[in-house]
Amino acid sequence: MQLDENLPTATATAAPAVSMKLLLRDAGIGIALVLLILFFALTTDHFLSPNNISNILTQITINLILAIGMTFVILIGGIDLSVGSMLAFCAVVGGSVLTIPDLSVFQAVSLATLAAVGTGALCGFLNGWISAFWGLPSFIVTLGMLNIARGAALQVTDARTIYSFPPSFNAFGSQMIYGVPVVFLIALALVAIAWFVLSKTVFGRLLYGIGNNEEAVRLAGHSLMTYKIAAFTIAGVLVGIAAMVYMARLNIASPIIGIGFELNAIAAVIIGGTSLSGGRGSVIGTLLGACIIGVLANGLILFGLSDFMRQLITGVVIILAVIIDKYRERITAA
Amino acid sequence: MKLFKLASVVALVAATALPTIAAAADKPVVGLVMKSLANDFFKNMLEGAEAHAKKRGDYELKAIGMQNETDFESQLNGVENFITQGVDAIVIAPADSRAMVAPLKKAIDAGITVVNFDVSLDEQAKKDAGLDLAFVGPDNRGGAKLAGESLAKALGEGGKVVIIEGNPGADNAAQRKLGFEDAIAAGKLNLLDSRTAHWETEEANSVFSTMLTAHPDIQGVMAANDSMAIGVIKALDAAGRPDIKVVGFDNVSAVQPLLKEGKLLATVDQFGSQMASDAIDKALAVVGGGPKLEGWVKTDIKLVTTDDVK
Repeated sequence: MQLDENLPTATATAAPAVSMKLLLRDAGIGIALVLLILFFALTTDHFLSPNNISNILTQITINLILAIGMTFVILIGGIDLSVGSMLAFCAVVGGSVLTIPDLSVFQAVSLATLAAVGTGALCGFLNGWISAFWGLPSFIVTLGMLNIARGAALQVTDARTIYSFPPSFNAFGSQMIYGVPVVFLIALALVAIAWFVLSKTVFGRLLYGIGNNEEAVRLAGHSLMTYKIAAFTIAGVLVGIAAMVYMARLNIASPIIGIGFELNAIAAVIIGGTSLSGGRGSVIGTLLGACIIGVLANGLILFGLSDFMRQLITGVVIILAVIIDKYRERITAA
Repeated sequence: MKLFKLASVVALVAATALPTIAAAADKPVVGLVMKSLANDFFKNMLEGAEAHAKKRGDYELKAIGMQNETDFESQLNGVENFITQGVDAIVIAPADSRAMVAPLKKAIDAGITVVNFDVSLDEQAKKDAGLDLAFVGPDNRGGAKLAGESLAKALGEGGKVVIIEGNPGADNAAQRKLGFEDAIAAGKLNLLDSRTAHWETEEANSVFSTMLTAHPDIQGVMAANDSMAIGVIKALDAAGRPDIKVVGFDNVSAVQPLLKEGKLLATVDQFGSQMASDAIDKALAVVGGGPKLEGWVKTDIKLVTTDDVK
């Protein structure tokens, strides 16, 4: 058990220093977000209007949910390229259940959620198990899953769009509480749960440990396979939840949705300060990262920038975030 | 020796009989190359072509498609495979109106009848390659103009509208945008903004709700396909703005309830299921010795409104 001292917050003395550093990291991203919000508030007319804030929160919800799962995977030094395709697969499976005739709305929604989340968990489990069992890079395994899930989604639906969900389910997708979209509150609750799991449980600390020093964790007598499978399965479960949110929000499920969504999720995690090599980062950072992407996408339209410039600037911000992270790493390591 | 003789007789009979058997099975082979098998529009088109092949029964259909509409590399491979297999005709909806010119030239040089449908090859690229090829397809610009005009009629002069565009760089996206702009000019509408949502429902939902914040006075929306119109209509539901009118394009099954409820003012049907079979008919006529196709053979388009689904 001596080796566990290598793990963050494993000993009482290390704890305050580490959380101080983590705080510094998140504060940096938070400041960037505040500056961005200030910029758009000053340069555009409607940016801070309550309606627009509700819009932004709705717009970031799906990416945020996907990015929470992605944080788990990136923290152990992995990557999941299959989430966009899995979103489509989960959505068409969930959507098929949702449109079964003669079910009450409650039955349909609960069964559909179960089906969508189950599908996501299964795909995630396979991602984790295959990469851990054969020691394969998750980059390659999830690239395979990207095609498997997309193919499965097309096969299941015969490439057709599923629509006409129960009206109350549809209404739920645009429900607000004091101007805050309910779907965003769900995402926020998931952030809170993920934060607790990652920073307050042994399981979570071991995930950081694997990202930092896989060998140390293994020598300490922990099964790497279990934790890797768990991280990918969690990512899959979150894809399933995101698929339900997608359907509630847009009232369709199509096998061609979600193309490229994995890249936005990865961007949110990286902008949020989680290291691509694993072991460093937090889900709070991911929340801020997703907000930055959402604020940029929204603000640049209000600012009146063309689509092409908008894409260009989003790219610049991603690279800037990684460069800033390099400096922050040096400061916090000192 | 007797055995030998018998064998040679059998061989002779077989040798004379075989060509006739082969000729009976030797129906012309048509290679159908589509942009994507992964959406309703092309799915309907493929099913239309398969039903057509069964009904005519005098040709063999080989169809290929791709994962998504921009993956022209696999389309290129598909065309090359058809050339190697020596099909009689290639009927193609090009994924890229420039990139596909060279491989199709190769097919024509190999003696294959090529018919270009759905999306037209780029005129300049055709000229540069010395390729003279007719186009069988709908008038995307004219169709978009029809949809735009129905919106203009509903709003009246000075109506404030926005356009949700398809993929930048895609020919049909560009044509539909031009058609919308024609309608805007003709109807004296006021265009507030025009942005792409890459044919995508979710992106259209996000982009449009932000456009609505920037321009709360929007009265009408022209979406370059129905998937994006669905995203726009959901944003209107969420914002509580049933007063804003929306037109789309493609007439997919998912918009039928929206047309019925009056949430979608109009969409355009370009009869995708017939388009491929029309193009195949034209290719077979040329293979059978008919005259070469020339210019632009326009296929049907129709404006679909609430009245059509009631």
